Amino acid sequence: MGVAQRSRRWLVPVTAVAVIAGVGTLGPVVADASPKLPGISAQDLLAKVQTAKVDGLSGTVRSDADLGLPAIPGAPAGSEQLTEMLSGQHTARVAFASPDKARVSVLDNQAERVWTTDGKSAWAYDSSRREAVKLTVPEHKTTKPEKAVPSYDPQAVAKQFLDAIDPTTKVEVSGTEKVAGRDAYKLRLVPKTDKTTVGSVTLAIDSKTWVPLDVTVMPRTGNDPALEVGFSTVSFDVPAASTFTFTPPQGVKVTDKKVPSQDRPKRVAPKQVEPKQVEPKQVEPKQLKPGTAKAGEPTVIGEGWESVAMIRGAQTAQLTGNGPLAQLLAKAPTVSGTWGKGKVLTSRMVSALITDDGRVFVGLVTPDTLQAAAAKAPR
Amino acid sequence: MSPNEVAAEPTEALAVGERPSAGRHTLALFLSELRLVFGRARTQVGLGVLAAVPLLIGVAIKIAGSDSGAEGFIGQIAGNGLFLIVASLGLSLPFFLPTAVTVISGESLAGEASLGTLRNLLTAPAGRSRLLAAKMVALAVFCLAATMTIWISGLIVGFILFPVGDVLLLSGSTVSLGEGLLRALGIAVVISLSLLGLAGIGLFVSSLTSTPLAAMAATFGTFIVLGILTAIPQLHAIHPWLLIYRWQSFADLLRDPPYWHEIGRNLLLQGGYLVVFYAAAWAKITSRDIT
Amino acid sequence: MTSAPIVTHGLTKRFHGGQVAVDAVDLEVPAGSVFGFLGPNGSGKTTTIRMLLGLIAPTSGEVELLGEPMPKAHLRVLPRVGALVEGPAFYPFWTGQANLLRFDAADRTADPKTRKARAGEALERVGLSNAAGKKVRAYSLGMRQRLAIAVGLMQRRELLVLDEPTNGLDPQGTREVRHLIQELARDGTTVFTSTHLLAEVEQVCTHAAVMSRGKLLRQSTVEDLRAELRPRLVVRTPDAGTAAETLQGLGVTDLKTSGETVEGDPGELPIEKFAAALVAADVRIHGFGLERPSLEDAFVALTGEGFDVAE
Ligand SMILES: Nc1ncnc2c1ncn2[C@@H]1O[C@H](COP(=O)(O)OP(=O)(O)O)[C@@H](O)[C@H]1O
Ligand SMILES: [Mg+2]
Repeated sequence: MGVAQRSRRWLVPVTAVAVIAGVGTLGPVVADASPKLPGISAQDLLAKVQTAKVDGLSGTVRSDADLGLPAIPGAPAGSEQLTEMLSGQHTARVAFASPDKARVSVLDNQAERVWTTDGKSAWAYDSSRREAVKLTVPEHKTTKPEKAVPSYDPQAVAKQFLDAIDPTTKVEVSGTEKVAGRDAYKLRLVPKTDKTTVGSVTLAIDSKTWVPLDVTVMPRTGNDPALEVGFSTVSFDVPAASTFTFTPPQGVKVTDKKVPSQDRPKRVAPKQVEPKQVEPKQVEPKQLKPGTAKAGEPTVIGEGWESVAMIRGAQTAQLTGNGPLAQLLAKAPTVSGTWGKGKVLTSRMVSALITDDGRVFVGLVTPDTLQAAAAKAPR
Repeated sequence: MSPNEVAAEPTEALAVGERPSAGRHTLALFLSELRLVFGRARTQVGLGVLAAVPLLIGVAIKIAGSDSGAEGFIGQIAGNGLFLIVASLGLSLPFFLPTAVTVISGESLAGEASLGTLRNLLTAPAGRSRLLAAKMVALAVFCLAATMTIWISGLIVGFILFPVGDVLLLSGSTVSLGEGLLRALGIAVVISLSLLGLAGIGLFVSSLTSTPLAAMAATFGTFIVLGILTAIPQLHAIHPWLLIYRWQSFADLLRDPPYWHEIGRNLLLQGGYLVVFYAAAWAKITSRDIT
Repeated sequence: MTSAPIVTHGLTKRFHGGQVAVDAVDLEVPAGSVFGFLGPNGSGKTTTIRMLLGLIAPTSGEVELLGEPMPKAHLRVLPRVGALVEGPAFYPFWTGQANLLRFDAADRTADPKTRKARAGEALERVGLSNAAGKKVRAYSLGMRQRLAIAVGLMQRRELLVLDEPTNGLDPQGTREVRHLIQELARDGTTVFTSTHLLAEVEQVCTHAAVMSRGKLLRQSTVEDLRAELRPRLVVRTPDAGTAAETLQGLGVTDLKTSGETVEGDPGELPIEKFAAALVAADVRIHGFGLERPSLEDAFVALTGEGFDVAE
């Protein structure tokens, strides 16, 4: 056995590394190859989305966010869950059945948070604390969230929508892709302004059910998505009714909460992005005005991509301590203008301006846009 | 020497060469290997330590009282002894089990080399590839034995010290005790499979040296480095390739229904590590000078 | 099958440091021989044996064992070869018997049904029956050496390759092992045994090869090796000077005087002529005779050096 022959043996492990690395990195790419689908215009696609009607679905939703978000100081309690969902990777199992059954389970590491409603009652369960909260939903119209529009023309709505956003946004069908094993069209929205940090928003829309399956937000700079939320598996079979019921097991602490009789059918899962994705009508407005999401009752300044949210009465005490946030702020540049003086924090997607008088301006915009908004803002 | 003696010799050689049993007893080496691994006091002490994990946790929880308010599986033990199995397996995974696997795998080839028994085995002849296979099989069996030791000890201690009953899953639903035990068994199996990547690394390192302690130190060092890399958020791009990135996914068996995606990914990754390092160990051991 | 159980051609091993431990060795071990592989410590005996058995790869050259190329055919050949390489090696935490069973289990041609019985016989043969159940940790070096030989005796072998088998044995043990080797040879097994002890070769070997600094200096029958050396005339006398002069006068060459001993190559003259001449010269003779040279002398003659550790 010669030396050359012996060293040839090392080709075996080297080949193994190459094959495994190749399959691991290229495999998903090959699997995601663009399927062949008939061409469709953006307006037709939007119209189809309007008519999308599924009686139920279930699947696994994965989100991967890299917004570089710091915790928003002074934000109302509960929003930390929103922040948490907007950072890192998360997986949730979702199920939905027409008209008012829904279940979302966020699969945490060795824990699970569940929100479920069967239309009559709603439950929130946290496995790490083994606590369940029961919400009793008053039994009347609230179980019918769909607007009863008598003469509803999807094409007209699609055109209206396109006309409405045309000044600010370029909308196009940018190709096809496979999402959760299904063929989908890609609908791409590109802001026309350069005042936002958003580069584009791409929706993957199922070519059979016209349900959006994936949303990808690209930043203006860089090649990695800032946010991607989409199905990794999906089934359009109507889930069994038992999927949405919750029976508090032994050893679980149950708290009862009464919901005032109001028209808030989705109150049970307020922090979840995912269940709303299955309702096509809500997707675009949400993406266009991210600054308005659930951060207490903020004031919105500006429109469309340039929207900036102002939050008053930030707890500046938090900012003077020695916490990580205070250190972050200490390093942040100070800016001033007609609106006063403050610190600017910027990240890949989100910018924030924290003024000395305790106002916080946040938006998916450039810092200059923030200052302009601050100048316009009511004191 | 007389001429007829010389003449007689080839005939006899032929008789010996045509041993009727030739080539049939491939399994004997594998059994002998298991005897070597499990017959050693070191292995038995290691398994004893693993068996003590549920006992220590169980006693501690019994003393602390049922309302210690701990989160996760530990907090569920007082209510259902079955969770002692799950909690013990989970708590052994980051340190105890990898340590045990490191010791056994580091010893495997380097131990034979340092004793000199490797040359006896090879002149027997064991065949280098077959010897490596026997070592790997024994390692895999050890991984399973280690987790099963915890499973059994957890079962016994859990059932003695705590009430048992229907099992509350992470998703908020319950399954019968039988199914719960089965799922805990599944966790033991998944964890033992999760250890195979490390076992492969250990086997390879062990093939490089004649000093078992050096092999163990290098393997454990590799494990620690992989752990540190996994803990650095900036490296998230390579995280899915790191050995222990999905180790915690065993808990997905306690969802309703079990969530297989991460477990599958973890097992694929372990398989990848195993294939690569086993192949490397093979390349080394089949070309190495045994002195 | 060729008649020679061991044949090597230009067998060479250069270690990583660049040191040539075995240098172009051409061995041919005849069937049925007890072959003494002789050389001082460090001369490359163990390295050669390792290459014979496929434990290390030669830098160049070929090995044929029982007619088949090594290491290619090792799975076919080695079951027919019993081997002891570089001292005994065992699992100290196991009994002698358990050790035998493991090494036998490693050979897939070995019958598991007879394994215990064969281990018992092998232990019996090396005189370890009483220690079979003792942990090897408690064995003396001599007992380990016997156990190592027992590994080779677990089956009938065509060839036994023994690397310094009597190392660490007491005189009694040494005698027993030599006896065992002869017994095995009588049963038709070819025995290739390395040693740094000349006496061993003289007592048990039919053939011998001499290694020095990695080179094979000579191989032949032990008889031929010895016969090549001319007998020497040795005279012990207080009158060494006169004796030397007298012998020189008779044509004795290579004369050496040390103390009261004078020796030299007598040439072709009959021995009684020297005795008469010495007596005539008034040399007082305390001792007189022809001495057959020992293998050690042969060795010194071959290597031109003493029997010391090389390098
Ligand atoms: N693994 C090795 N690496 C480097 N040199 C070695 C190795 N093994 C043996 N040697 C050297 O090769 C020479 C021959 O050694 P060896 O074959 O053991 O001699 P012997 O058995 O005749 O005493 C010695 O000089 C020894 O130092
Ligand atoms: Mg030697």
